[in-house]
Amino acid sequence: MALMLAAPAVFAQDARLAARLDKPTLVAVNAIVDSARVAKLPTAPLVDRALEGAAKGSDGPKIVTAVQQLSVRMGSAKRALGPAATSDEIKAAAAALDAGISANDLARLRAASGKRQVTMPLSVLTDLVGRAVPIPTATTLVVQLARSGLKDPDFALFQRNVRADIDRGADPTVAATTRARGLVLRTGTGSKPSE
Amino acid sequence: MADDDDVMMKKIAQELRKPVAVSSSFDARVMRAVRQLPRHARFRLWSRLTTPRSVTVTPLSWGLLAASLALFALLGAMHASSDINRIAKPFANALFPKGAGGSPDQRVQFVLVAPDAKKVSVVGDFNGWDASHALYQAKHRGGGVWSVTAQVPVGHHRYSFVVDDSVWVSDPTAPRVVDNDFGVANSTIVVQEQK
Amino acid sequence: MEGSSDAVIVSRVLRGDVDAFGVLVGRYRDRYARYAFHMLGNREDAEEALQDAFTRAYRSLARCEDPERFGAWLFRILINRCRTLGARRGRRARTFVVDEVAILEAAEEHPADRTAWREEIDRALERLRADQREAFVLKYVEELGYDEMSQLTGVGVSALKMRVMRACERLRELLSEVHSG
Repeated sequence: MALMLAAPAVFAQDARLAARLDKPTLVAVNAIVDSARVAKLPTAPLVDRALEGAAKGSDGPKIVTAVQQLSVRMGSAKRALGPAATSDEIKAAAAALDAGISANDLARLRAASGKRQVTMPLSVLTDLVGRAVPIPTATTLVVQLARSGLKDPDFALFQRNVRADIDRGADPTVAATTRARGLVLRTGTGSKPSE
Repeated sequence: MADDDDVMMKKIAQELRKPVAVSSSFDARVMRAVRQLPRHARFRLWSRLTTPRSVTVTPLSWGLLAASLALFALLGAMHASSDINRIAKPFANALFPKGAGGSPDQRVQFVLVAPDAKKVSVVGDFNGWDASHALYQAKHRGGGVWSVTAQVPVGHHRYSFVVDDSVWVSDPTAPRVVDNDFGVANSTIVVQEQK
Repeated sequence: MEGSSDAVIVSRVLRGDVDAFGVLVGRYRDRYARYAFHMLGNREDAEEALQDAFTRAYRSLARCEDPERFGAWLFRILINRCRTLGARRGRRARTFVVDEVAILEAAEEHPADRTAWREEIDRALERLRADQREAFVLKYVEELGYDEMSQLTGVGVSALKMRVMRACERLRELLSEVHSG
């Protein structure tokens, strides 16, 4: 992959990248990082992604593709979540996009969550999808939970419970829907949480 | 027909009159907010003392004056004590170093059950995915249980276990994130600040 | 102090006893949380509105004309907070997807049971126009008279009666839809 840097913007580049990547990969990754910085996207996740690829023994071109894809997803994530999105939200949203969740769904979750951060709900949504809950179902459930005012610790609890149910042989959709329903009812009917 | 409708409205009203749970920390939160506001202070005695007018001094009014000054001094001292938090905080910050995000790193325990492993380390975006990082080597606790407690900055992180420096294992107990680029699933953790 | 009237507690607070305000919080918290929950649809927003109302009440406590009726004065503040927060939420509530209803009902084993009924009521209430919902809750849940409602909301009695009537009609419509299936 040949990259022309017309006027190389020389910012202090991460020394760890230089230690772990070969020259062509390093040049390519640095260029992507610079573009991201200009676009006001978080750059640390890109550096981390390159280090992750190196640690996993991937070859240069694969690493560059991965870093580039992450940069593109972070751009979509930021557009979907709005300019006030934090780095953590963008990171979590990029992972969600990678799992197949749409930018539209990110925007729905953002709208349903009001002032609350969406980092945890996104992490839970990505996990559900990774455990074979169909994307439309998983998204709808998480959006509904967010709308009902569910806080992060309860989102984490929801994820743990669904995971435990699936591990014991439950159908993922049924497990997720049942656990979500319990939480929505709980916030509405005044009964105390079970944990 | 009208009777049926009335009955329905009554049933609805009866249902809606049921109590709604309020979080157990609600009162404390309100009082915390209220204490930040300027305190009400109708000191009638004080205003009498500051308004210049002729005063007939009797033993009784001397007593009253002494008592009100003592009370005022006491209230002043009580008010001043709320300033102590503002003075002490910078010292607390020096004792607990903050991560890049401005919040202190949190101690997080990572546990993996791997009875056949000889070595287990935690790698993630908080340590450059470095399997040889000294602070992230798990210890075998017996019965195949490996654990390490490490400092992790507040926020969204991707991580994994590396067993015997060769096998990447995602954390079975954590939310998962599929990795389409490198083909190895990771785990995610959202670290919250402990208040 | 727990048994003292609102007026006694208000005067203590005005003389600098902040902790005394806690008694008033405990006294009105549950009832007004219920109102805020019905108006805003979720616990977190309800608690935010209520906390806001309490702090505003504390701040302007010296201007409470009739401390013996502190509760009603606080309620008026809360009603306004709910209107403001409700308007803000209305903008994001429009992303509500019809599918959500289907998904949640699909997992219900006993559609006739009470908790499902409650959820239907909550959903129907949420679909009312904000002013109709407000009037309905004040009349049927808080069981206030129209004069009192008028004082609290600043709306005329005949307008309030109209809103309550429309709310009842709409609720009947929405709730009989569910049961006709």
